[in-house]
Amino acid sequence: MTLKECYDVLGGDYENAVGRLMNDRILQKFVFKFLNDGSYDMLIRSMEAEDYKEAFRAAHTMKGVCQNLSFTVLGESSSHLTEALRAEKSEEYQELLEAVKEDYRRTVAAIQVLKAEC
Amino acid sequence: MVSTKKKKSEEKNQKISTIRFLIASFLVLVAVCTGVLVLFARTMSEKSEETVNKIGTIYMSGLNERISMHFESTIDSRLSRVEYLIQTVEPEEFDTREELYNGLQYGAEARNLSHLAFYGTDGSFEMVLGDEIELADPVPFLESMKQGEKKIAVGRSASGEDIVVLGVPAEYPMKNGSTSLALTGAFPVSDIKRLLALDNNYSLVYSHVIRRDGSFVIRTGEGDEINYFDLISEYFLENSEKSPETYVEEMKQAMEKDEDYSALLYLKDDRRHLHCTSLPYSEWYLVTVMPYGTLDQTVNEMSVQRFHFLVISIGIVLCVLLTIFIMYFRLTQKQITELEETRREAVRASKAKSEFLSNMSHDIRTPMNAILGMTAIATTNIDNKLQVQNCLKKITLSGRHLLGLINDILDMSKIESGKLTLSVELISLSEIMDGIVNIVQPQIKEKKQEFDVFIHNVVTEKVYCDSVRLNQVLLNLLSNSIKFTPEGGFISVSMKEENSPKGEDFVRIHLYVKDNGIGMSPEFQEKIFESFAREDNKRVHKTEGTGLGMAITRYIVDAMEGSIEVQSEQGRGTEFHVVLDLERAVSEEEEMILPDWNMLVVDDDEELCRSTAASLEAIGLKAEWTLDGESAVVMAVDRHRQRNDYHIILIDWQMPGIDGIETARRMRNKLGKDIPILLISAYDWSDIETEAREAGVTGFISKPLFRLTLFYGLKQYTDNPSQTQEQNLSHRTDFGGARIIVAEDNELNWEIASELLSMLNLELEWAENGRICVEKFAQSPEGYYSAVLMDIRMPVMTGYEAAKTIRGLKRADSDIPIIAMTADAFAEDVQKCLDYGMNAHVAKPIDVKDVARLLDKYIKP
Repeated sequence: MTLKECYDVLGGDYENAVGRLMNDRILQKFVFKFLNDGSYDMLIRSMEAEDYKEAFRAAHTMKGVCQNLSFTVLGESSSHLTEALRAEKSEEYQELLEAVKEDYRRTVAAIQVLKAEC
Repeated sequence: MVSTKKKKSEEKNQKISTIRFLIASFLVLVAVCTGVLVLFARTMSEKSEETVNKIGTIYMSGLNERISMHFESTIDSRLSRVEYLIQTVEPEEFDTREELYNGLQYGAEARNLSHLAFYGTDGSFEMVLGDEIELADPVPFLESMKQGEKKIAVGRSASGEDIVVLGVPAEYPMKNGSTSLALTGAFPVSDIKRLLALDNNYSLVYSHVIRRDGSFVIRTGEGDEINYFDLISEYFLENSEKSPETYVEEMKQAMEKDEDYSALLYLKDDRRHLHCTSLPYSEWYLVTVMPYGTLDQTVNEMSVQRFHFLVISIGIVLCVLLTIFIMYFRLTQKQITELEETRREAVRASKAKSEFLSNMSHDIRTPMNAILGMTAIATTNIDNKLQVQNCLKKITLSGRHLLGLINDILDMSKIESGKLTLSVELISLSEIMDGIVNIVQPQIKEKKQEFDVFIHNVVTEKVYCDSVRLNQVLLNLLSNSIKFTPEGGFISVSMKEENSPKGEDFVRIHLYVKDNGIGMSPEFQEKIFESFAREDNKRVHKTEGTGLGMAITRYIVDAMEGSIEVQSEQGRGTEFHVVLDLERAVSEEEEMILPDWNMLVVDDDEELCRSTAASLEAIGLKAEWTLDGESAVVMAVDRHRQRNDYHIILIDWQMPGIDGIETARRMRNKLGKDIPILLISAYDWSDIETEAREAGVTGFISKPLFRLTLFYGLKQYTDNPSQTQEQNLSHRTDFGGARIIVAEDNELNWEIASELLSMLNLELEWAENGRICVEKFAQSPEGYYSAVLMDIRMPVMTGYEAAKTIRGLKRADSDIPIIAMTADAFAEDVQKCLDYGMNAHVAKPIDVKDVARLLDKYIKP
């Protein structure tokens, strides 16, 4: 699997990302680092602990990371959650969180496959 | 098979019925024409006969009238001569009978009378002039004289001459002592004949003068008959309607009624028109006969001519109609054939589509099954990491394959629904080629194929084109080549440029993708660009794909108004040739001129050497070239001895004989360390980099060798080595090691920022939250940091607070530039940043250009 295909699978804008991060090699390095990024765990933990302020920050960070890497799909779902948390629309939390989880799983799976091949 | 036969017979039937219809209608047309012709001929001949008859009647009556008038005036004038004689020669004036006779004789001769006589009451003549005369029919003459009427009669002189006798009542003393009843003059009948032109043998028309009983008074022509009625009975044949006797009878009746009579008489092969009128001063009738022979002949000739003309006209019309029929028939046949062709085409297309669908469902199902199967295996072996990894790898492969299929289908449906649009933008041909080479290299490597790129004299680098679609075209062609070329095969891409027929603003780019793979059958070459086509034989069956790639390629090339051709031979290989006319971009790039160094180009491909040398000369360099490593070493060493070294040496990596690395090693041994030796390679050189560096290679330059590639590749070896290829970016790229704090809680984001910004020659320090940032700044010497990049959402202390705190510090540099970085790109967020004392705001994701521009604004060198 190429990096581009990985982006296709996880729903990202490869051209945009590689355009900003100069080349495949650098981009790939950061994509792999995404696996170690703690913001998702933080988000899940704070959502479980119902610490929505912290959850907001975590979601926001995640959104930033996704934007940095042009992970469009995950970026959007985390952005939705961020906005819901910002506006404290608690009735939407669960559904939006599920979406984030789903997208995150797919993203991570794609990256892991890519990494496994390297 | 059965349906095909049925269709064919239907088609045949259709054709036969068309022919039948056309022949039948043509025959009907011929019949109608013939009928019309016959009818016309008959009507015309009847009409013309009728008309001729009418003309005859009119002519004859006119002629008769004229003759009779002439007769009348002739007789009148003769009678008046006699009357005049009577008036002028009165008996009392003459003393002797002798003198009276002399006077009358003189007067009569002067008036052209052959005879003159006194007519006695007993009907005897006393001759004054001429010999004795005798009347042919004396009774009615005597009667008229007694009545005191003027009268004429025919008679015969003693000399046997036929004469016309004119009687005018007059009293003259006669020899026997009685008084005369009348004075009679006479003149020869021939005079009347002459005067009335009755004896003109050349005239078509001839006339007789007859008495009421049919006996001739004056007869023209030869013959012994004395009665005209007998002549009619004798000569004229039985008419279909009337017997000759009927004519005679009718004529007699008309005579009694004193009417004109006109009739047609038929001879053996002729018709004659007969017209009979009474003559004045006499019991005579003028009969004029006109044979129709000549007239009929003329009219017939005219009719025949007209008939011929008509036949010819109808013939011509029929010919024209026949031609039209035939042409129409052919046209119909052609249309039917075309229709059939179209139908067959449609059937074939739909067949191809359904074949494609069945292939596709198989093709889609195969990877899908693999994915599901592997998922199942992975699930059951969830603890066996190795097994799961293996499964995932296979799932990935299948998924990737599936993705390719789906992408193709989506592309195709987009094209088929006419939604393919080109987004034309400014592109660099060299970048496109670079990109392509980078993308296909792994696949080529995997299949252990040889690959090369040739750029021939491409001067124009910047053009307007849809780069994504152009890439797609090249990738499709290349991946096809890779797919259908066995391991160890050779694949090449060439590009060349020529003037475009579209004008000065355009450039014609030729792209060739060539391989020595399995090739294609001629039949398949014809339909390779059709949708859903895939050569269906065992050789390629195991090679997967939608079969849409070439169709998509073709559509894209068409949309770009270009052309694509293929040349292929089974077992020998394939060459695709794409021609595109692209609009030249107005080049605003800096002038690409390098110092006039001496260069050496070493490549086994002479064409490439020449074009590279040309490109080098175009950017101001002097280039020499050679085709192999050994001679290159010799050339370089020669120069070295003359102390006139090459400034830079370019060596192709792969060459027969000694390869690029070996050449570089030998040169380095002999030339020392100073001269840059660059290795040209179409491949990712990471594999050979170490070996090459050890051998003394200074750097690498990637194929294809565009002017731009050469320029930027070589520019770094100019005297100012810091001017690297970032030169062409529009922002400042060197901040001279200025120190910057990056406040960012997320490590990944920090790393990305660090990676990107380090290219700008910045020294970056990471602060994980606002407090650390403030502490770092507070503990630094004044002016140590040049700027702060501040994330907003951070734990412990937010970016807003950190900025506010920094601004509140009692330091000379507390007005340090603070640039906010946040994913919230709302206007109110930007305003909030400024409210908290920050200088500017840059949106995430980080774009190095944006950041560089802002830093340039706030950091003075």
